[in-house]
Amino acid sequence: MKKSREFNDILDECLERLLVKGGTIEECLASYPELAAELEPLLQTAVAARKASVIQPRPEFRAKARYQLRSALQAMESRKSRPFFGWQRRWVTAVTVVLVLLLTGGGTVAAASNSMPDGTLYPVKLATEQVWLALTPSSLGKAKVLTKLADRRVVEIIYMANKGNAQQIEVITQRLDKHLVTLVRLAPVLKAPQVLAPSEGAEADRDVFVGANSQAELRIMIARYAIEHPAALRNMLEKSPDSVKPALRQAIAVSVAGYEDALMALD
Amino acid sequence: MQDEESLVRRAQQRDQEAFAQLYEANFDKIYRYVVLRIGNETEAEDMTQQVFLNALQSISSFRWKGAPFSAWLFRIAHNQVVDYLRKKTRQATESLDESLVISKSDPQLVVEQRLDIEQLMLATKQLTKAQQEVIALRFVSELSTAQVAKVMGKSGGAVKALQHSAIVALRKALSVG
Repeated sequence: MKKSREFNDILDECLERLLVKGGTIEECLASYPELAAELEPLLQTAVAARKASVIQPRPEFRAKARYQLRSALQAMESRKSRPFFGWQRRWVTAVTVVLVLLLTGGGTVAAASNSMPDGTLYPVKLATEQVWLALTPSSLGKAKVLTKLADRRVVEIIYMANKGNAQQIEVITQRLDKHLVTLVRLAPVLKAPQVLAPSEGAEADRDVFVGANSQAELRIMIARYAIEHPAALRNMLEKSPDSVKPALRQAIAVSVAGYEDALMALD
Repeated sequence: MQDEESLVRRAQQRDQEAFAQLYEANFDKIYRYVVLRIGNETEAEDMTQQVFLNALQSISSFRWKGAPFSAWLFRIAHNQVVDYLRKKTRQATESLDESLVISKSDPQLVVEQRLDIEQLMLATKQLTKAQQEVIALRFVSELSTAQVAKVMGKSGGAVKALQHSAIVALRKALSVG
């Protein structure tokens, strides 16, 4: 018993020298010549097992995981710091949009829809999108809105890449991720045939009962963006300065993974 | 990198940068441990990410008791692996995904290493759960004996004995395979 305990200690000591201190099998065997025959095959096996330490996470997974963690950290931070009246602020924004819509006949909101993140009307654009989403009653309708919003975000990322603004790209990428994550969450509900409300536009007027066809349309749109968006971002990556490349790579990882998840969830 | 204890204290006070540093320091090791234990890259990716999200959720409950922070992370990973294997009806014996990334640029070397790793993963399946655990922690995630003891909740002596039996069993499995 004592002998085996001593052997375990010696084996462990040799492994420590081999694995941590960069020693060799031969050096260890020279220290314990009387145990060399027993130690050698065990140390060789340990070296073989150590070969698995070259496994690394895929770069895309690493980027996606890092991004998701950062989002989770920020979400926790915002939950912690959100003021008591935080929910009210969102309603104030919505009401403001409606008031602007009423007072300007929709001109400002229409102008805002084309604004970019560095434009003065961009907050109106974002608020209008929230109202658009909130006023879309069906899950299928919301999914379509989210897909269109994702398209807008990619256009904005490319615009900000042209401006060399990495910080804005990161912020917009977070919004893109949020749209795609919400889209994935909606997918299980979409599998059942749905009824679209008449307020959801011309398509709804023509087709009140929307089932497989409309879902197929959504899938086609997502499948198209799953190819077009990463391709457009990769194209931009080649042309962009080094300062925005990490942010663009993150955007590519988010779009690839997000659409992939959405398509899988819909299948 | 700052000393681990102060990083953990900052992370417990919701310091994002501190948690991000702890994450970067442990991410690859946790991933390697999980992928070796369950043998499926996609599942390993999901599980690795979940380990860190769980850690983020519960970091305030972490208490210093002489064990490093990584031991706590590996404990979370260990629990998730055990849960996964329990739920899985058959043992994961599928070969490694072709896409598994190996940190070498020489294609010939990558092919050889992939074969070595695949052989190793198949061989470890013939070991007991505890032996698999010690191989993954000690040789793949490169933890010290003391750290492995903390993760597995065993004494240092018990880990050394387990390590010995695991290497003997692995050698036998590799020579048979």
